[in-house]
Amino acid sequence: MKHQIAIVGPKDTILGFKALGLKTYNALDTEEAVKVLFELKKEVVTDEKSGETKPLYAIIFVIEDLMTGIEDADYKKLSQNALPAIVPVPGTKGTTGYSLKRIGKMVEQAVGSDIFGDK
Amino acid sequence: MAKLDVKPTRMELLNLKKRLKSAKRGHKLLKDKQDGLMKQFMEIIREAKASRREVEEKLGSAFKNFMFASSMMLPEMLESALLYPSAKVELEVRTKNVMSVYIPYFDIKQEGDILNYGYLQTSGELDISLAAFQDVFPLLIKLAEIEKQAERLAAELETTRRRVNALEYKLIPDLEETLKFITMKLAETERSTIVGVMRIKAMIEEQEAASRQ
Repeated sequence: MKHQIAIVGPKDTILGFKALGLKTYNALDTEEAVKVLFELKKEVVTDEKSGETKPLYAIIFVIEDLMTGIEDADYKKLSQNALPAIVPVPGTKGTTGYSLKRIGKMVEQAVGSDIFGDK
Repeated sequence: MAKLDVKPTRMELLNLKKRLKSAKRGHKLLKDKQDGLMKQFMEIIREAKASRREVEEKLGSAFKNFMFASSMMLPEMLESALLYPSAKVELEVRTKNVMSVYIPYFDIKQEGDILNYGYLQTSGELDISLAAFQDVFPLLIKLAEIEKQAERLAAELETTRRRVNALEYKLIPDLEETLKFITMKLAETERSTIVGVMRIKAMIEEQEAASRQ
């Protein structure tokens, strides 16, 4: 089963990843990014042997700046299945701390409180 | 704690006893599952934090290189240089079952050359920055893998924790209270029957004594 990798973000930022063979999708703000993400999530690939359909994109990277404003309900819908893995990556502006906060949230969800919190 | 809405009969008592037994067994199993998941989760989350920091550092400098490269070239040139990449990425996904949660593992296969453009109209910085991206790429995949695993485990842990708590603090105490209520009620009926029988016996004896005289 062959899956693909996509990256969503501003065109000039993600252009470099195109050379690596990733599929690039242009999105300038959060709203656009969410729309693109939902569309990408819908795309499926069919396994020739078993006939199962699976998501075409196993990993979708998103530039972090676009993820900061995403609504919880949307995020939940996007991330609930095993695939795709939606991963925020820091953009040209550098890290915003969103991703570490995201990990903190996971800990909170699992344990009940963020036991690794820095504060 | 509220007792369940059941009739205080011996039948119900037996049923409830069975339910309590299975609830306790379920609670123990879920608790074990929670402990197992937690152990895995802690390992993964530590790894995730470390690899997240590493990626942020390396990707930051890779982007800086790319910015330099793109500022040296005309945007159209840059775009046309990267328009048709010959490099291809394919991803194999394996899943592993950890305590009934399927967590993904990614294997990448890369083909072709990332430097797929003429050297005349592109700057040397572009080569360097693409090489930097190429270096970070396996780390990014690893990060995606670990974070997705953490996410899956976190979701499962949350539901398991809720189930354990619901059993421990709601269902089991409720069942125990109802059982107690039924046993008391049954004992009460038994005593009242005995008293009733004794009174009737006394009355009969009285009557017999009166008729003999």
